[in-house]
Amino acid sequence: MSRDPPPADAGTNVEGDAPQIEPTVETDEATITDDAELERTLGLSGGLAIGIGTMIGAGIFVFPGLAAGRAGPAAAVSFTIGAVIALLVALPASELATAMPKSGGGYYFVSRGLGTLAGTVIGLSLWFGLVFASAFYLVGFGYYAVDTLAEVGVAVGDGLAVPLALAVGAGFTLLNVTGTENAAKLQNGVVALLLSILAFFLGYGTLDALGVLGAPSAPEQFTPFGVAPILTTAALVFTSYLGFAQVATVAGEMKDPGRNLPLAMVGSVLVVGVMYVLTIFVATSAFGSARLSTFGETAMVEVGRELLGPAGALAIVFGGLLATMSSANASILGTSRAIYAVSKDALLPRWASRINLRYGTPHVALGLAGGPTLGLVATGRVEVLAEVASFLHLVLYGLICVALVVIRRDEPEWYDPDFRVPGYPVTPVVGAVASFALIGFMQRLSQVIGVAIMVASAGWYLYYARGVKLKGVL
Amino acid sequence: MTRVLVPTAILEGESVPFGLMDLLGTVDVTVLGYHVVPEQTPPDQARMQYEERAVEALEDVAEEFHAAGGDADHRLVFTPDRAKTVQRVAEETGADAYTIRGTTGSVERLLVPLSGDVAVERVLSFVTDLIGGRDIGVTLLLATDDESDGRDRLTAAADRLAARGVDVRTELAVDDDPVAALVAAVPDHDAVVMGERAPSVRSFLFGEEAERVAAETVGPVLVVRRDEAAEE
Repeated sequence: MSRDPPPADAGTNVEGDAPQIEPTVETDEATITDDAELERTLGLSGGLAIGIGTMIGAGIFVFPGLAAGRAGPAAAVSFTIGAVIALLVALPASELATAMPKSGGGYYFVSRGLGTLAGTVIGLSLWFGLVFASAFYLVGFGYYAVDTLAEVGVAVGDGLAVPLALAVGAGFTLLNVTGTENAAKLQNGVVALLLSILAFFLGYGTLDALGVLGAPSAPEQFTPFGVAPILTTAALVFTSYLGFAQVATVAGEMKDPGRNLPLAMVGSVLVVGVMYVLTIFVATSAFGSARLSTFGETAMVEVGRELLGPAGALAIVFGGLLATMSSANASILGTSRAIYAVSKDALLPRWASRINLRYGTPHVALGLAGGPTLGLVATGRVEVLAEVASFLHLVLYGLICVALVVIRRDEPEWYDPDFRVPGYPVTPVVGAVASFALIGFMQRLSQVIGVAIMVASAGWYLYYARGVKLKGVL
Repeated sequence: MTRVLVPTAILEGESVPFGLMDLLGTVDVTVLGYHVVPEQTPPDQARMQYEERAVEALEDVAEEFHAAGGDADHRLVFTPDRAKTVQRVAEETGADAYTIRGTTGSVERLLVPLSGDVAVERVLSFVTDLIGGRDIGVTLLLATDDESDGRDRLTAAADRLAARGVDVRTELAVDDDPVAALVAAVPDHDAVVMGERAPSVRSFLFGEEAERVAAETVGPVLVVRRDEAAEE
């Protein structure tokens, strides 16, 4: 490492460390540096599994009751708004990812396109955003675990949801540090199983709601609470669309990134978006939205019971357990990668990305992911956790769109994406405006926490990383 | 020129045994230093920490090859998937064969199984190049349930090797499982040279035949790669 002097223009942080930046050649199968090669092993299905596996836990298994309680059947519109915004960001993110198929994803694009201050704020915000998201998924898991116990006849009450979530969160962190088994294949299987359960369930539910099977449900008013809640609900449920950016964080490990990255990002948003909208339709058709909202986080279990009896309830409980676990685990892994990306660029101390000899895993980064997550799980505040996660991601998404416009306006020589955004410049501009606008519809508490984290990140930049220069440094 | 890929778990202190280096003295060698990372770890993160040490170790191995009278270049790969890396690098370097780890002293006799649908001519010409006129004997082994046909095939193959000046013996195993017959024949041999088989249900379930043989034997196994272009 010390053999190659760092590029003179990358600067150093307060400890005198420079970003570790080396020229690389990207092929479809590997990244080639001066002395070594990095194998690309994730295919399209692996990328889709990461994207869908991260997202599906929240939108289907946690939000329907909460969202219907706020917006009525029009919650389907809220999910559609979320999907459109996610797509408007997924397209620019795809272009940037094919031009810079490196670990770090969104952070990498923003730091290279907009410079170190934006990079530090986004890099650290992404860390915390993922921590909030992981905590949110884990609390969702806790509720499903309690319901599972109830289904098999052990009534423990919702009070045990948070302790169970804490236990599983700690377990995942530990397993990720010590486990070297190949969990990626397991993740693919889990996602395939989930999609099958949901396809059957939603197919049956849709036919039922339309009256093909039995009598059609009496439609209630589409917007019982007016139009404004549609937007605040969209802000809340946007957490269901955070996963596609996780695909970009593994861009450095994906085979044929020029093809697979855009397909995995856009594809996973489309798949989950359609499923979310169908879920709301089925759920609000089975029960009125007022009744649905009384079931809380695990409302889908009651929908399953209504449609298919005890077997339906069991299938949903089982699906919910799998989905929230896979979302939580994918987010913890994503957090560790986010920390590595900023540490590599000297925005965090280098020890944050150390790997231990015994297991070959990044134990420090995993600890920095899992530790704060557990603290947040203990609060048990589902809606705030979800919104802060969305807030921090939306800032990232908006800035991804801005970074695309900035880079495109003065296209540097190295910029050669395999995929170009359709409808430039409208797509990224609308994507940026929509991302920032959605933040305005959140609860005040979530906004305050989100802003505080960003301000703290900017403070860290001033203290620690002011000397680092990342703009345009590849 | 014939090229052999020698995958080595470079950061786990794996080294190339002297006997194998000596055996490979007649061919071009690429030492593939690899380090397997778990999926929680981006390969680049492992590179940041271990590259320097790995490069040093690889240069030492290449040095040893030179000292043993051979010629070797080297590549270093951080990978979550060892098998994919071996296949990719073998393809990129145009390697005719790759090795599976095993220890041996100096090699006096090779065991070459011809059972099943291996590309016999490819394996035989590789063996000829590898021996390169040295005093190394070959035992050809065939497991079959058709005794007379098996004997004919063995004799034909032995004649071809003998015509190239190789000291060759034959061994026929009738009604025996090919892998079991191979493992039983291994004593008295220092290394195994076998043809790569096309992926099958069997290899999917039980692992690749060559890997199974390597697990059952002490010495190194050289796997002659399939010529995919010719098969299509």
